[in-house]
Amino acid sequence: MSSMIEVKELQKSFGKLEVLKKVTFTVDPGETVAVIGPSGSGKSTMLRSLVHLEEVNGGSIIIQGQALVDNGSYAGHAQIKGITSKMGMVFQHFNLFPHLTVRGNLELAPRTLKRESSSEITARSKDLLSKVGLADKADVYPSMLSGGQKQRVAIARALMLSPDILLFDEPTSALDPELTGEVLRVIRQLAEEKMTMIIVTHEMNFARDVADRIIFMDKGEIAESGTPEQIFGSPRLARTRSFLKL
Amino acid sequence: MSLDYIIKIAGPMLEGARTTILLFLIVIVLSIPLGFVVTLMAKSTMKPLAWIAHSYIYVMRGTPLLLQLLFFCFGLPQIPVIGEYLVMDRFTAASLGFILNYGAYFAEIFRGGLLSIDKGQFEASKVLGLSKWQTLRKVILAQMFRVALPAVANESISLVKDTALLYAVAVPELLNYAKTAVNRDFTVTPFVVAGVIYLLMTLVLTLFFKTLEKRFKFE
Repeated sequence: MSSMIEVKELQKSFGKLEVLKKVTFTVDPGETVAVIGPSGSGKSTMLRSLVHLEEVNGGSIIIQGQALVDNGSYAGHAQIKGITSKMGMVFQHFNLFPHLTVRGNLELAPRTLKRESSSEITARSKDLLSKVGLADKADVYPSMLSGGQKQRVAIARALMLSPDILLFDEPTSALDPELTGEVLRVIRQLAEEKMTMIIVTHEMNFARDVADRIIFMDKGEIAESGTPEQIFGSPRLARTRSFLKL
Repeated sequence: MSLDYIIKIAGPMLEGARTTILLFLIVIVLSIPLGFVVTLMAKSTMKPLAWIAHSYIYVMRGTPLLLQLLFFCFGLPQIPVIGEYLVMDRFTAASLGFILNYGAYFAEIFRGGLLSIDKGQFEASKVLGLSKWQTLRKVILAQMFRVALPAVANESISLVKDTALLYAVAVPELLNYAKTAVNRDFTVTPFVVAGVIYLLMTLVLTLFFKTLEKRFKFE
């Protein structure tokens, strides 16, 4: 019950292709874990299966002590909804709702789910937009924003539901290099606030800087994991070294 | 083409235009929701529903509208046993034919709109805890209609002109009045007047949809 996320022997295949081969790891409360590795190593699939965007073929996912999947068999529909509702996700391509303003994007889910009063929702969306530095963009449509601004809106939108865990799927991969900084600053601030996070990323410097732990995935398995000092300083495996071009 | 003559025939012709507009409104108001329901059926995971929707679209798009109108007005009552219960006045029967025909086209238009929506929209909605129904209502519908709008405008304009097919089932409408006047008065003027009235109707529609497109630009 002490782990926030517990993943055991996760297996997933697309047809004959095995994308996850017995992936096992845990994430502690308040920990920031960066997942790195070559394209096609199963990083995104692993992340997406945590929020039930992919269904795995075997293994277990336990979130805050509750089993989303236990030995390959999934919990009931309502239980899955309950478990995944504690997790927010930020996508590579933002996936903002183009027909809603920035404020509308933040408030759609809380207003639809009706768990709190309208004034609380309005107040929090205002706070969160200031937090990501976009208070002046509340009434603008996403089409008028830069990529970096869109991703910051997406982070604020994920935070609207006060998640205990935040997952990032290559949050800066679709951005121009000069726009990644503003997004990484927001994520760094969340790490300092001890939000539990898993970040799939290609930004090695950022991973080294912000993460408490690095997981290096290769060919559907966790090849190596450890502190940033271990992984970047003295990796055990030759393939980790070659990936990091050390 | 004297002005006096035009004024004289304008009254009855506008009377005919009323039937045209009435048919147009009935068909638009009923076929758009029908099309939407058929789209959802076609996308349904329940196979029989999807099959019914696809067959319906295939039949309505694959046969002439004129054949369908003749079928509903004159064919239905000929069906053995149940035929006698299917006798409708010709305007009602024709409206039914138009609604079913246009419903199929609108279904295909909406399906196209649905296909254009990125799967990331569904994923983001799911992760935010929205149910399938909530996602459809709050996220997908608005985007689907936005994409479909130009094609819906196009179909609506086609419908204005297709109402002239009422001529073939002898329901008095705009074209019917024009033809009567041409035969009676030995002049081409009524056809020109009818053309102008059709143009006016399509102009109003064009402007209406332009405004809608501007309103739903999301900028």
